[in-house]
Amino acid sequence: MNLCHAGLLTSLLLASAAAQEPVKPPLTPRIITATRQVTLFTGLEKTMLQAVQKKDKNALDGMLSDECFISIPKSDPLDCSDWADSVTAGDFALKSFVVRRVSVTDLGDSALVSFERVQQATHGAKNLNGEFFVVDLWRKSGNSWKLASRYVSRMEIASPEPAAPPKPTGKE
Amino acid sequence: MTSLGKAKYVLVFLLVILAANLLVAQQIREEGRGQAAAGEKLVPTGDGHAVAVPDDESGKKHGGSVTTGNGINYNGGPVLKGNPVPIYIIWYGTWTNTTGSNTQATVNLVDAFLAANSLGGSGYERINTLYGDNTGNVSGNLQEIQQVFDTGSQGTRLRNSRISSAISAQLTGGHLPTDPNGVYLFITSSNVSESGFCSSFCGFHTHQTLNGADIKWAFIGNTDRCPSGCEIQSTGPNSPSTGVGGADGMINVITHETEEAITDPDLNAWFDSSGNEDADKCNFKFGPTQTAPNGAKFNQTFGGFNWMIQMEWENSRGGGCDQTLGGPFFTN
Repeated sequence: MNLCHAGLLTSLLLASAAAQEPVKPPLTPRIITATRQVTLFTGLEKTMLQAVQKKDKNALDGMLSDECFISIPKSDPLDCSDWADSVTAGDFALKSFVVRRVSVTDLGDSALVSFERVQQATHGAKNLNGEFFVVDLWRKSGNSWKLASRYVSRMEIASPEPAAPPKPTGKE
Repeated sequence: MTSLGKAKYVLVFLLVILAANLLVAQQIREEGRGQAAAGEKLVPTGDGHAVAVPDDESGKKHGGSVTTGNGINYNGGPVLKGNPVPIYIIWYGTWTNTTGSNTQATVNLVDAFLAANSLGGSGYERINTLYGDNTGNVSGNLQEIQQVFDTGSQGTRLRNSRISSAISAQLTGGHLPTDPNGVYLFITSSNVSESGFCSSFCGFHTHQTLNGADIKWAFIGNTDRCPSGCEIQSTGPNSPSTGVGGADGMINVITHETEEAITDPDLNAWFDSSGNEDADKCNFKFGPTQTAPNGAKFNQTFGGFNWMIQMEWENSRGGGCDQTLGGPFFTN
């Protein structure tokens, strides 16, 4: 294999790897008329986050189903009641949040809700600010809705490794 | 070179400069035709030309053009002030069925809703007159001027770029005028999908340069594709049969989008600190209703029909959702 063929093969491999990524349509500046479900579940998600802000565990527990769990990358599933305990504990503080780009798939007695959450939060001395992509499964329970499962992933792309410090020349 | 030769040289140089000045002056004059400077307007001379004259209306505030402090903010951009604001419709997909809502009856109903002396000029639409920019207020009048049909030039699975292409084709082909002061409604039949329609939105409005002009357009899908998401009731006051609420559902979304496209055409005029425009602030809030003979609810009557359309945010008295200019505010 000569250098030219190797280059061609590398290009093809790179192209095929890129093709496996979903095509990302451009974000069009537009203002939408939200569906009734988007309005409903945006309200529920905000109510849940406000309960976290106020450390209102009763309100939070009332929105979680018994089997609820939270799935986070590179981690075992977290029971929602344990999550509620942790976010209403004294050392967690949700200072502010934004819920945006809400989408709802109506499945009758359940609904699949995806959205982006931007938050400013701390856990003790640890900074938990960031943007998260969240997918929630809500189930209807009588006249109300309860969270059945949540899948969360941080949105930011990892920053590149910091450049190595320059080697000392001895002339500094 | 003799002194006479020097004089000739200077004279030729001066003549060249003079000729160049004349040419530039002529060019400026030509460019000036058809375009008035700030503070001027063009008036026809009667011979096919126009001259610029001082515009007494320029820069004058019409009424309380920019009134704030009512729960919605002015962000500096223009509003549409046409009287009426021209509305153009592109009916996309299949609108020739004989049952359901993808029908000529739906087309006729929307035509009636947007005809002269119907929605335009109603007490409801006059709520919009409380929104303005630094040169004047919205008229509260709109009217459908022209409509065309596209049976599916971009297929049945749309995305924004395909809608843009379909609208652009109507403009470049001369089927619709290229009007930066109008609103183009792109209405799709229920067999057409658009990414985000039904899961995220029932419609949207935007603006972009098409055929060389800043075109304001809105997408409205047939709400019969997702009645639970985009219809307040599955049977509307104008339903042809029980459970066929698409026409009334779309009319509600048309109301929402036209209100917003007029008060925030370039997405930089009227919206609140959360990004909600005037109609967003009353989305799916209807206020008191009456019951039509077919059992459906309605909250407005004009143009010879009953309508069920959401309230609009009134930019006065502290702000609130109401059904008519100056009417009582309702929360739902």
